[in-house]
Amino acid sequence: MPETAASAGPELAFEERLRRFNQVVTTKAPIAQTPKEVVWTLNKAQLYRYTPVVAAEKRHRLPLLLVFAIMNRPSILDLRKGHSFVEFMVDRGFDVYLLDWGVPGPEDKDLKFDDYALDYLPRAIRKVKEISASEEFSLLGWCIGAIITTIYAALFPNDGLRNLLLLTAPLDFSDRENLTFARWTDEKYFNVDKVIDAFGNMPGEMIDYGAKVLKPVENYVGNYCKLWDNLDDPAIVESWHSMNTWVTDYIPMAGAAYRQLIVDFYRKNLLIRNRLRIRNQLVNLSNIRANLLNVIAKGDHITPPCQSEALLSKVGSQDKLIHHVPGGHIGIMAGSSAHRTTWPYIEGWLGARSR
Amino acid sequence: MNDGKEENKKTFDPFEPFRGIRDASFEAMSKAMIEAVNSESYAQATGALLDCYLTASAPFREALEKSMTQVLQQLSLPSRQEVTNLAVRFSNLEMRLDDMDAKLDRIANAVAAIAATRQPPPAEAPTRGRAPAARRR
Repeated sequence: MPETAASAGPELAFEERLRRFNQVVTTKAPIAQTPKEVVWTLNKAQLYRYTPVVAAEKRHRLPLLLVFAIMNRPSILDLRKGHSFVEFMVDRGFDVYLLDWGVPGPEDKDLKFDDYALDYLPRAIRKVKEISASEEFSLLGWCIGAIITTIYAALFPNDGLRNLLLLTAPLDFSDRENLTFARWTDEKYFNVDKVIDAFGNMPGEMIDYGAKVLKPVENYVGNYCKLWDNLDDPAIVESWHSMNTWVTDYIPMAGAAYRQLIVDFYRKNLLIRNRLRIRNQLVNLSNIRANLLNVIAKGDHITPPCQSEALLSKVGSQDKLIHHVPGGHIGIMAGSSAHRTTWPYIEGWLGARSR
Repeated sequence: MNDGKEENKKTFDPFEPFRGIRDASFEAMSKAMIEAVNSESYAQATGALLDCYLTASAPFREALEKSMTQVLQQLSLPSRQEVTNLAVRFSNLEMRLDDMDAKLDRIANAVAAIAATRQPPPAEAPTRGRAPAARRR
């Protein structure tokens, strides 16, 4: 009878466990596997169109463009087969596009929200409209992507945007007591110009540290204990592995955009007060007339609910809704229950408005 | 990871008996740490640490940049700044091309629309061999 690791003695079994743990922590899982093609590029940005699996006549008429944050990979929207928001929406007849901002190099250190909202996003949208042959479309913005899509929606109210979905959108920075980032980046303690002058772009490692240290025990200890405890459960290991692959893929944030995030958003709170100027154009949120779904994560420690809730009273949309979901900043879309809670809700809301 | 059989077997974990104690202390530790990182003093300390690092490393960074630029110049190689400037120009060119692409699309669509409006209705279609009215003009 062949000797298994468990029957060979505790030392060997422990060694085996340690080997497996090490393998999961140090290797990359295959993520972002849903079939797609690149349909447009500009600088580092790429626009993907996911291969439709539903016949054209049965598909929703309006294309859906996904816009994620500029300091993380968008692969979180297509994490792994059987647990991918993109795959879920494609299977349900949506024509799905995703704008990947790419990794900014030293030459991109002057890119601002102005460039993302006025140069990149409108061009990507033009391509989406051209390919889908639809003058109308839906936009989904998540995290910083939600800031960019909100700015776009306010500046281009007649561009065909019918549905705007915002996920964990950091738009209101007035409640400084509840915003740890606001405290850390206060001008009393944090010299943003000095940091950007030194690094050019904000290093991904520093952004990652900032996000993880909000919950240090959970992120630096608890996370690895969870893997260690569940090494014998393939489903949990697979989920942990793919999430860790995404989390550890750091990308920098364009220096000028980071400075703008700290000064114009965190410190001056210009957007929600309708005082933000994007290339000299005032961003007036009341210009937003698209149907609006604002999804808020109840347990979000990166973008607490207080940062998203004020938007509804500011926009000019007739059809507008806030939906609170249990979970954290990333968990609401990539957590183990997202396919039972957030995704079907989004699909239902969007499906009814995409005919 | 990929070996299902290997995944399903139970392996020996010498820390298992201590999990209860660990988990019980986690909650208190987590609460204390979250409180600590949320405090003004933490913000002040990390700000000071970062400032200190940037101030201390600035002269070295500047010296390195200066000497590197000189070396590259001596070797007739482009500096980092020159390559960066070139990349910016490429991005601008790409944007201009994208604008032209958009304009061409608009023109093509407009021409197609005009052609469609000038086509006679199917009932009055010209007989085979005759060019359509729009084309004859």
